[in-house]
Amino acid sequence: MAAAYPHPNPPPEGEGTVGRPPTQGDGGSALPPPRTEVGAIGWLRANLFNSGFNTVLTVISLAITVAALWFGLKWVFIGADWTVIGVLGGQLVIGQYNVESSCAGQNCFWRPQVALLLFTVLLGMAWGMSGNAVARRLGIGAAVIMALFAFLPYSFERMGMDVRLLLAANIPALLLGWAIARYTGMSGRAIVIYGVAGFLVSLLLMRGLPGIPGLQPVSTLHWGGLTLNLLLAVVGISLSLPIGIALALGRRSNLPVIKLLCVIFIEAFRGVPLITLLFMSQVLVPLAFPEDFETNSLFRAAVVITLFSSAYMAENIRGGLQALHPGQVEAARALGLPVWQTTLFISLPQAIRNVIPAIVGQFIALFKDTTLVYIIGVLDILEYGRAFIQGNTEYLADIHELFIFLAVVFWVFCYTMSYVSQKVEEHLGVGRR
Amino acid sequence: MAQLRGMLTYQDVEVWRHTKVIQWTLQIVSSILVVALVAWFFTNIVNAVQDREIPHGFGFLDRAYQTPIGHHFLPYESSDSYGYAVVVATVNTIVVSVVGVILATALGIFIGVARLSSNWLVAKLAMVYIEFFRNVPLLIQLFFWFYIILTLPPVRESYVIGGGLYIHNGGLSMPFPQAAGLGPSLAWALLAAGSLIAGWGVYQFLTARETRTGQSSYPVLAGLSVAILLGAVAWIVVSLAAGDSPYYISSPEPQGRFGRIVDGFTAPAGLVGLLVGLVTYTASFIAEIVRAGIQSVSRGQIEASRALGLSGMETLRQVTFPQALRVIIPPLISQYLNLTKNSSLAGAIGYSDLTNVAKTMTQLAPAVSIYMLLMAAYLAMSLTYSLIGNLYNQRMRYIGR
Repeated sequence: MAAAYPHPNPPPEGEGTVGRPPTQGDGGSALPPPRTEVGAIGWLRANLFNSGFNTVLTVISLAITVAALWFGLKWVFIGADWTVIGVLGGQLVIGQYNVESSCAGQNCFWRPQVALLLFTVLLGMAWGMSGNAVARRLGIGAAVIMALFAFLPYSFERMGMDVRLLLAANIPALLLGWAIARYTGMSGRAIVIYGVAGFLVSLLLMRGLPGIPGLQPVSTLHWGGLTLNLLLAVVGISLSLPIGIALALGRRSNLPVIKLLCVIFIEAFRGVPLITLLFMSQVLVPLAFPEDFETNSLFRAAVVITLFSSAYMAENIRGGLQALHPGQVEAARALGLPVWQTTLFISLPQAIRNVIPAIVGQFIALFKDTTLVYIIGVLDILEYGRAFIQGNTEYLADIHELFIFLAVVFWVFCYTMSYVSQKVEEHLGVGRR
Repeated sequence: MAQLRGMLTYQDVEVWRHTKVIQWTLQIVSSILVVALVAWFFTNIVNAVQDREIPHGFGFLDRAYQTPIGHHFLPYESSDSYGYAVVVATVNTIVVSVVGVILATALGIFIGVARLSSNWLVAKLAMVYIEFFRNVPLLIQLFFWFYIILTLPPVRESYVIGGGLYIHNGGLSMPFPQAAGLGPSLAWALLAAGSLIAGWGVYQFLTARETRTGQSSYPVLAGLSVAILLGAVAWIVVSLAAGDSPYYISSPEPQGRFGRIVDGFTAPAGLVGLLVGLVTYTASFIAEIVRAGIQSVSRGQIEASRALGLSGMETLRQVTFPQALRVIIPPLISQYLNLTKNSSLAGAIGYSDLTNVAKTMTQLAPAVSIYMLLMAAYLAMSLTYSLIGNLYNQRMRYIGR
C-alpha cells in the first residue's frame, strides 16, 4: 500500500513513529495524517489558504485587521484624551439628578444607588431560585461591575466614602438575595411580585415624597443619565411583552371588530417613526386630556415607547403563532381544554419559544431607542454628555472619545442581552428537534 | 347536520352563556369603549383648540413658508409656500431612503456572504462588524460620523480622490451629470428608457428561448449590449440634432479665497453623516438576514450543484440565492422600512428631512395639522414598501406542483 501510493509528505524517520505501533509487512496503511493537514498548519491551510482566491482574501483581510488594530489601539492609548469621561464620571449615570437645582441642599445620590441595590438583590433572588448558570453569570457580573466603580480613582471630595460604600454593597446585596431565595424556597411568582414591588419602591425613591426629610421630590425632568435609559427600557420591556401578546392574539382572533382594532393599532404605530410619535406625545397628547389632568412629559414618553415597541412585539409573536402547527391547538381542543387554556398553556409557550431571538432583538431595539428621548428635552446618557461638551467647549475636541465610550456602554448591554438569549435558546432546545 | 349544529350551539343554555352572545357582547363593548375614548380625545382637542385659540386647519399650506431649508433636492426659495416646502422635505426623505436602501442592500449582502465565508478570518471580521454596528444605538453612530466629518479639513485643503471627489468638513463634493437643455436632455432620457426596455425585451426573449431549447445565448450580455448600443446611438443622434450633448458631467471646482465649491453635487455634512450611519447600521441587520436566508437553503442543494460541476460562485448565484431570496425578502422589506423611519433622526445632525422641517414648521403653523400630514406621509411611504414586498412575495411564492 505505502509503496503503491507513496505519501506526498512522508513523516521523517524516528520521530513520526513515536505514538503508533511500528508498521510491518506491507506497511499496514497506518501512516499518520500529513503534517500539513493537522495542527496549526493544517488549520491554517483548511481555513485560510485552501484556494488561490481564499489566500488573496486572507491577505486583504489580514491587512485590514492589522491596520484597524494598529490605528485603533494607537488612538485609544496615545491619541485619545479620555479626561472628558473622567470629568463626567457618575453624572453619566444619574444626569443632573444630584445637582443643586433639582435636589436642593442635600445629597440625593443615595436614592438611585439604593434603587440599584434593590435591583441587585432581585438578580440574586433570580439566581438563587433558578440555580441557572446564565442567571448566576448575569448576577455576579452585574454586581462585580457595580462594585468596581467604588474603586474609581477619584479624590474623596468628588466621590465620597458613602457613595463608595453603597456601590461596594452591591456584592453583599447579591449574596443576600441569593441566600433569601435559596433558604426560603422562593417560587417564580414571588420573584415577579418582588420585582414589581422593587420597581415601584425604586420609582418612589427616585421621585421622592413631599414632606419626608431626605426624600424631597425630584422632578422627573431632572432624571437623566444611564438611569433614565435603563428605567425606560425596564418599563418598556416588561410592559410591551404582555401588551404585544394581547395585540397578537387580537390580530389572530376571529372576532372581526377586535381584529380590526388591533390591526389599526399595530399598523399605525409601526408605520410612523418613533421620534415623530415622541413629538406628538409632547404636543398633541396634552391637548387630548382635560386641562387639569396632570401628566408629565417623561411619563408620556414612556407610554409612547412602550406602545411603539408592543406593536413590533405583536408582529413577532404573531409570526410565532403562525409558525405553530395547527394540530397543537386542535389536539388541545379535542382534549377538552377551553380556548383560554389552549392559548395560555399550549399555543403561547410554543409560539414565544419559537421567536425568542426576535423578541430579544426587539428588547435590544427598545433599549437603543431610549436614546431618542432627547427630543422631549430630558437628558439621557447620550444627550447629557453632548450637552456637557457643548456647554464646556474646551472638551469639544474630545467628543469622539465620548461617543466611543457611550457606544461601548450600549454595546455591552445589548450584546449581553443577545448572548443571554442565545443561551436561553440553547437551554430550551429550539432548533434541535 | 342540523341536529349536530343544534347541539353545538347550545340551544338549551341561558342566553348569557351562549358563545355567540359572549363574543358579540365583547366586541360591541370594546368598540363602544374605543369609540368613546377616541371621541373624548377628539372633543378635548377641539375644545382646547377653540378655548386657547390654537391655530388649526390646513389654510396655512398656501402661505409663504419664509424659512430656508438647509438642503433640498428640488428647487426651493424661501418665498415658496408651506405646501411646497412639505413636498421638498418629503423628497429629501425619499432620496435618503432610496439611496440608503440601495447602498445598505449592497453592503449587507456583501457582509452577509462574508459572514458565511469558508475563510475563517473573513467570517470573523464580518461577525465583528455585525455584532458591533447592530448593538450600538443609531443616534450615537450618526453623531459619531457627523462629528468626524466636521473635524475634516476645510474646503481649501480637502482630500481629493481621483481628481473629482472632494472630501471636506462641509461634506462631500462629487461630479454629477447635468442636463444641458430641457429639450435634448428630455429627448435622450426618453430614448434611453426606450433602449432599456428594448434590452429587457431581448433578455426576456433569449431567456425564454434558453428555457425552451437549452441553448445559452448569453441573455444578460446580449440584453445589456443592446441597451447600451441603442442608448449610445440615441446620444449621437440627439447630440447631432441639438448641436450639443444632452448631458455633461459637472465637476466640483474649489473657488475663491474662502474655499467655496461650485458645480458638481455637494452633499452637506448632515446628509453624508446620515447616509453613512444609516447604511452601515442597516447593513448589519441585512447581513444577518442574508446569512439566515442562505443557511435556510438545505446543504443538499449546494452539494448537488457542486457535484454537477458548478463553481462556488455559480452555485451561490444560480442555486443558493434564488432559493434564499424567498426567506430573505420579507424581513428585508421591513429593514427598508426601518431605514426610512430611522432617517427621521436626521434632525439630530442638522439635516433637513421631513421630520426636521415639520418640527421647525410647528413653531409658526398649526402643530396638529402638521403632525397629521407627517403621519400620512410616513404611512404612505411604509405602505409603498409593504406593497412592493407583497407583490414580490406573491410572484416568488412556491408554485405547488
